Amino acid sequence: MHWSVKITMKFNVPIFETKFLHFVRQNQNIVNKVSLRINRGDYTAIIGPNGGGKTTLIRLLLGLEKPTSGDILLFGLPLKKFNSWDKIGFVPQRVTQIDLNFPATVIEVVKMGRIAKRGFFKKESPEDLQAIEDAMKKMNVTYLKDKLIGDLSGGQRQRVMIARALASKPEVIILDEPNTGVDAVSQQRFYSLLKELNEKEKLTILFITHDIGVIANDIDSILCINQGLLSCNSPHEAMSCSSMSKLYGIDAHIMHHHH
Amino acid sequence: MFQYDFIIRAFIAGITIAILAAISGSFIVLKRYSILTETLAHSALVGVALGILLGTAPLLIAVFTALLSAWLIEYLRSFHNLYSDSILAIFLSASLAIAIIIVSLAGEFNSSLFSYLFGSILSVTTEDLIMLALFGIISLSVLLGFFKEFYFIAFDEEVAQTSGIKVKLLNFLFITIVAIIIALSIRIVGTLLIGALMVIPTISALQFKRGFLETMIIALIISVISVIIGITLSYHFSLPSGATIVLTILLFFITSLVTNRKLR
Repeated sequence: MHWSVKITMKFNVPIFETKFLHFVRQNQNIVNKVSLRINRGDYTAIIGPNGGGKTTLIRLLLGLEKPTSGDILLFGLPLKKFNSWDKIGFVPQRVTQIDLNFPATVIEVVKMGRIAKRGFFKKESPEDLQAIEDAMKKMNVTYLKDKLIGDLSGGQRQRVMIARALASKPEVIILDEPNTGVDAVSQQRFYSLLKELNEKEKLTILFITHDIGVIANDIDSILCINQGLLSCNSPHEAMSCSSMSKLYGIDAHIMHHHH
Repeated sequence: MFQYDFIIRAFIAGITIAILAAISGSFIVLKRYSILTETLAHSALVGVALGILLGTAPLLIAVFTALLSAWLIEYLRSFHNLYSDSILAIFLSASLAIAIIIVSLAGEFNSSLFSYLFGSILSVTTEDLIMLALFGIISLSVLLGFFKEFYFIAFDEEVAQTSGIKVKLLNFLFITIVAIIIALSIRIVGTLLIGALMVIPTISALQFKRGFLETMIIALIISVISVIIGITLSYHFSLPSGATIVLTILLFFITSLVTNRKLR
C-alpha cells in the first residue's frame, strides 16, 4: 500500500519528488513507500513522532542514505545524475551538538558554504566574498565573524549554520529540527526570518520541527511522517483533524486532500 | 656543527617533515585520526624491515607498505561494519609482529633497527633527500590544493558531502598522503615517535583558542622549532633525534597548556 500526496503548488515546478521511496534498516521499515512532491517556493514542515523516519527521509533526499527501493528526483533529475548540490543548503540536526572545541571562527564556517563552488588552488572571487557577506548579513551574524564557534550561544550558532547554507545561494534549504536547544525568543525571531526568506527570496524551505503550533500560520503545507506519509495539506487541518492522534499513534490512516 | 654534510641533510629532511606533519596533523587531530598515525607508522616499519632483509631502499618500500595498510584500513572502515579503532589496533599489532619476524630473519636486530625506531640524524642519505623532495612536493600540493575541502570534511563530513564535495575520494586521498608523510619521517623521527610529531603540535596550538588557519600556523611554528632544537640536541648529546624532538614538542605542549589556563 502506498500514499501519494500533492502539496500546495506555488510554482508547480518540482524540486523534490519521490516515488514509492522505501528504506529498510535491520528488517524494519523506516520509510515506507513514500511518494511526495515538493515544488519550488513551497514552505513545508515535516512533523511526526521520534523514530518515525523524518530525518531518514531527509537523508535519503540528500543522498546520505541509499534507498532500499523507489526513486528520488532532484530538480527533475534522478539523484544519481544530479550534481548541482549548491542549489541545496542543508542544516543538520547536529548544529547544537557540534564539537565546541573545533578551531573555527564564524567567518571560516560561513565560507565553507562556497567551497564546493570554487576550483582548487583558487582564492575567493569577489562573487564568493559578496555571497558570504550577504549570507552573514541576512542571518545577522556579521558582528560575530571573528568569534569562535564554540563561544557562541545556541541561537547564534544556529544562525551561523544557516548562513553557511545560504552562502552557496541555494534555491532550497533543508533544516532538521533547527530549534533544538534554542530559547523561545530566538525561536520566534528565527521563524519570521524563515518566512521572510521564503516570501522575499522565493527560497523553498523544507524542515523538520516539533513546534507546529508556532508556525501554523507561516507554512504552506505539512508532511506527516510515521514510516509512511500521511497527507495533511494545510497546517490548520493537520492540527484540527484527527491526523495528529493517528500520526502519533501506531496505526496510520490516510487523509487525502487537494487544493 | 654545520661543517658536516650529514647534519645539513638532517636539517633539510627534518624541517620538510615538520612542515608536512604539522599541516596534515591539523586535519588528523580534528578528524579524530590520531591513532591512525601510530598504526601507519608500524606498517611502514614492515617496509623498513623488508628493506633491511633485501638490502635495498627501506624507505621506498616503507612508503608502499604504509600505503597498502592505509588503503586496506580505509576500505575496511567504509565497507565493513567493523569498529574503526579495533581495525587500527589489529593493523598495529600485526604490522609490528610481521616487522619483527622479518628483521629477525635478516639477523640485524640490533644495529640498524634502532635508528629506524627512534630516528637518527646520521642516517639521512642524499637519495633520501631526493625522495623526500619528490614525495614532499606531491604531498604538500595535495594538502594545499584541497586545504579548504579537507577542512570542511573535518568540520562536518555529511554537510560537506551534501554541498557537493567528493568526501569518499578526498578521505582516500588524505589517508594516502598521511601514509607517505609517515614513511618519509622514519629517518629523522623514527616509527615509534612520528605520531607525536603529527599530533602534539596541533593539540598545543588548540590551547590558544584561535580559528583554524591561525591554529595551523601555530602548530607549524611549534613543529619546525621543535625539530630544529631536537636535531641540535641530538647532535650535541648523541641522542636519537626522534626522542629529542618529541621531548621538545612536549615542552611546548606543557607550556601552552599552562599559559593558556592562566589566560582564562
